[in-house]
Amino acid sequence: MKSLFHHTYLKLLIVASFLTMAVQVSQAQTPRLQLNSLDHLAAKASETVDVSIDERLIQTALKIFKDEDPDEREIKKLVSGLKGIYVKSFEFDKEGEYSATDLQAVRAQLQDPAWSRIVNVSSKKEGNIEVYLRMLNDQITGLAVLSAELKELTIVNLIGPVDLEKLTKLEGRLGVPELGIEPAKPKTKNEQ
Amino acid sequence: MNDDYLWDKSGEPDPEVQRLEQLLGTLRYQEKPLELPEQITPSRSTNHVFLLAIAATILMALVAAGLWLKARHNQVPQDQLAIAPSSPSTPEPQKDAASPDKQKVVNPPTTNSGETERKPHVARAKLPTKPALSPKEQDEALAAKQQLMLALRLASEKLNEVQRRAVGPTTPIKNQHKVG
Repeated sequence: MKSLFHHTYLKLLIVASFLTMAVQVSQAQTPRLQLNSLDHLAAKASETVDVSIDERLIQTALKIFKDEDPDEREIKKLVSGLKGIYVKSFEFDKEGEYSATDLQAVRAQLQDPAWSRIVNVSSKKEGNIEVYLRMLNDQITGLAVLSAELKELTIVNLIGPVDLEKLTKLEGRLGVPELGIEPAKPKTKNEQ
Repeated sequence: MNDDYLWDKSGEPDPEVQRLEQLLGTLRYQEKPLELPEQITPSRSTNHVFLLAIAATILMALVAAGLWLKARHNQVPQDQLAIAPSSPSTPEPQKDAASPDKQKVVNPPTTNSGETERKPHVARAKLPTKPALSPKEQDEALAAKQQLMLALRLASEKLNEVQRRAVGPTTPIKNQHKVG
């Protein structure tokens, strides 16, 4: 009888350990990038943007989007499926305030086979921009943009199905309060 | 010879009857207490195993229900967005800098034909979140919205910059391939 009891107990333990493993694996497979390794750059940066919005906050924000406003309706459509939006952006007064080693931890996460780099634009003058996508069954489940410019480092990480076309079209249509980030950007766009 | 012996065992016995008595007598009822082996006496540990089995079943059912609910919860927004990319791109709407002050949640208008199919689905999914927001929730939503807009703006800017630089004649594109 004791052996039967131990047998059942053992089975429960095995089931519990399998469940724990499943949870750990699902966490490891999340498309969220850990960006904490970049936090020390905030001390050197003249401007820092740190956005961290999880699914609950996204849903909270969506409650006050006006459906009658076409822009907000578009954004609502774009964002409603997302599970997280994480951005870290550092703007420096001078060049060379960050190095490639600062990005190693982020790049290591993007080496995961689930991520695939779709674009890499490099320029000595303007720096590098890389775009990574995470796919599952032909559907985008994550987006990462790594922009390493001379005086600016920006990492954008969106989790969930992303419509790249709509996201690209959003620029210039967002009623975002000006926070002094990237003040020179509109000029460079017009110059092009 | 009479049958008294068969009746009350009196009188002279019949030898044949005696022989049968001896033969069948071994099978007669013998009164003695029932002896059970000690090993099969019911013990309390059986109940423990039974309870453990029930607990394990309930645990598994709860885990399964939790996973199912989570999967169902995740499926709703994905369904909504799965429709969005396939819909034709709408014409550029007029710029209207949104003032994200206190606003009521209003049902979406039914002017766009492309959205009519999705509306019941969205309405059903958002039904629990419809009640009016408390001032605290309103503040939280406003802050979240500002952050959301800022993040989207940055993401959109970067994607546009990639596009612009990738198309430009002087910048080399190291790696680009179509997805999907």
